[in-house]
This record gives sequence, structure tokens and C-alpha cells, in this order.
Amino acid sequence: MKYVEKWIAVVFVSVGLVGCATNNQRLYDYGDYSSTLYSLSKNQNEETLAEHKSALEQIITSSKEHTRKVPPGIYAELGYIYQKENNKKEAVKLYKLESDLYPESQYLMARLIKQIEVNDASDNE
Amino acid sequence: MKRFASLALLFVIVYGLAGCTTVPKTTKQDAFPAMYEEQPKSILILPPINETTAADAKEYYSTTIQEPLGYAGFYTFPYPITSDLLKMEGIYDTELLVNMPLDKFKEYFGADAVLFTTIRKWDLSYAVIAANLTISIDCELKSTETNRSLWKYNGTVVVDLSGGNSGGGLAGLVAKAIATSINSALADYVPYARQANYRALSSLPYGYYHPQHNKDQNNPIVSQKR
Repeated sequence: MKYVEKWIAVVFVSVGLVGCATNNQRLYDYGDYSSTLYSLSKNQNEETLAEHKSALEQIITSSKEHTRKVPPGIYAELGYIYQKENNKKEAVKLYKLESDLYPESQYLMARLIKQIEVNDASDNE
Repeated sequence: MKRFASLALLFVIVYGLAGCTTVPKTTKQDAFPAMYEEQPKSILILPPINETTAADAKEYYSTTIQEPLGYAGFYTFPYPITSDLLKMEGIYDTELLVNMPLDKFKEYFGADAVLFTTIRKWDLSYAVIAANLTISIDCELKSTETNRSLWKYNGTVVVDLSGGNSGGGLAGLVAKAIATSINSALADYVPYARQANYRALSSLPYGYYHPQHNKDQNNPIVSQKR
């Protein structure tokens, strides 16, 4: 009996500590978002951009695997990277995903999509 | 791994001590009634105002604030996109926006609220065998609809970067000095910046996407009213 009580106490303490320190990890999984974004912000080059892009893709994959929502802004940020790479199709697709998942983003996403379509139209003239 | 363990220990000690001493307490509702009145869903994070001499502080803050704000249940506009758009509009200096009407942010981005942040301290104090990093940030959430200040709080974190226990005697001291200088030089401050942001946001009423949204009015928080 004593052993079981000790074990329960350990579990409660660890859960408590984890709760204090990590603040609701269950809601989303941000993966390496912050550290790769920091490296990219300090020093923008092919490598740091590729690492951050990969971190964003990882968040999306991992969220689906664990049936969690993709965190706010992640689809959009990946879309923005594709937009700068001139991959308009992927960019629009991701902006729409963001817009569908988070209605608060609809206005901004619509503007970004419109900007792409307007640029496309003027390119084709 | 070792750094994380000492950070976790420091965190636990600080939390434990906070429990022991009598700190002025209030509730989320009492401190920030405007948040519950207006219920902002989406937040635009503005580039921080840096009052320190640390050149990196701005990047550390802006790349680690989105996560805790997301976990708090708010929709966060992606910072890399919005900061680019603001620059295109000629808005380089958040200080100029402090007393201006914020309806343009509702119009332009669809944001319910705007987050102003001032980095007050980013001090690495170094004394051979002891090194401390002090991070202090002031955050304020303002409504784009009413221009009211909805929430305001400071987050301060002191991290001990010292070399840890390296045995006794002179050799031990030297080892500790070397370890401390290595720690300070190579320190990846991202986790510490993140902790400071979490500390600042700890009093924020939960947003729409959080399971305890609108149920946390009576959650106790440390009062920062002076």
C-alpha cells in the first residue's frame, strides 16, 4: 500500500510541476517554432529559412497525427513563405486553410489572396 | 538538459516561495474587468519597444510571444506577416502608436486587440563565478474598438547562469568560473525569453479557444497595482 501511495504522490507532483511550467501543452503543439523563427530573424539565409519552413511543416504534420488543431498563424506563415518563393498555388491553398480554421483571420487572408490574384492578373496582361 | 533542470528548479523554487510569502492578490475579474466585457478574440502583436541596450532583445521577444498567446486561447495574427505589412505601411516605430486611435488595426487586419510590449530589462550581470540574466517586460492589450486598455502586466524572470557545482577548493572555483563564462557566452536565451513571456501572460484572462475561457474570473493573480 505504502509503495502505491508514494507512486501516486510522485505522479501528482510531476503533473503539477509540468502543469506549472508548460501551461496547457495539450491545446497545440508548436514544436520548434520559436527557436527556428529566432534563428531566421537574427540571420536570414537559405539554411535558417529552410529550417523554419521545415518546423512549420512539422507542426502541421504532428498536429494532424495527434488530432490537435494547427496553432493560429502557422498555415498562413507557411503560405507566406511559399508566396515569397513565387509558389502562388500553394500560398493560396494555405491561406484558405488558415481562413477556414480560424474565422478571425478571414479578412487578412482574403486580402493576401486578393493581392496574389491581382499580381497574377497583371502578370498575364 | 542540465540547464533545463536548473531552470525548472529555479521556476519551482520561485513558485514555491511565492506561495510562502504574502503577496497582494486579486482576481482576474477584479483586475481586468474590461477583458470580460469586450472578449477580444484576435490579437495583433506589435513590434516591441526596446528600452534596453541588448540588440537581440527585440528578436528574442517577438519570436517567443506568439506561442504563449496561442496557448492562452487567442487567435494570433502571424507576426512575420503582420510586421512586414506594417513596414510596408511605413509603421516602423511602435512608440508612435501608443497614444493613437487603434481603429485602423481593426480595419486593416480585422484585429480585436493590439498587444503593446516594452522590454524594460535584458541585463546580463556577470561576476566571474556567478552570472544572472534578468528579463523584464511590460505588456499591454488595447482594444481596437474602444481604445481602452484591457489588460496590463509585467513579467520578470531572473535566470541563474552560474556554472553549478564543480566540487570544492580552488580547482572547483576555476571550473565554475569557466562553466559560468561558457554558459553566458553560449546561452540560448530563447527558453528564458519564453519564460518571461509566460510570466507576463500568466494573469491574462483566457481567450476564446481556451477550455477555461470565461470561467476564470475568480482565478487569483498577483496584484501589480502600485
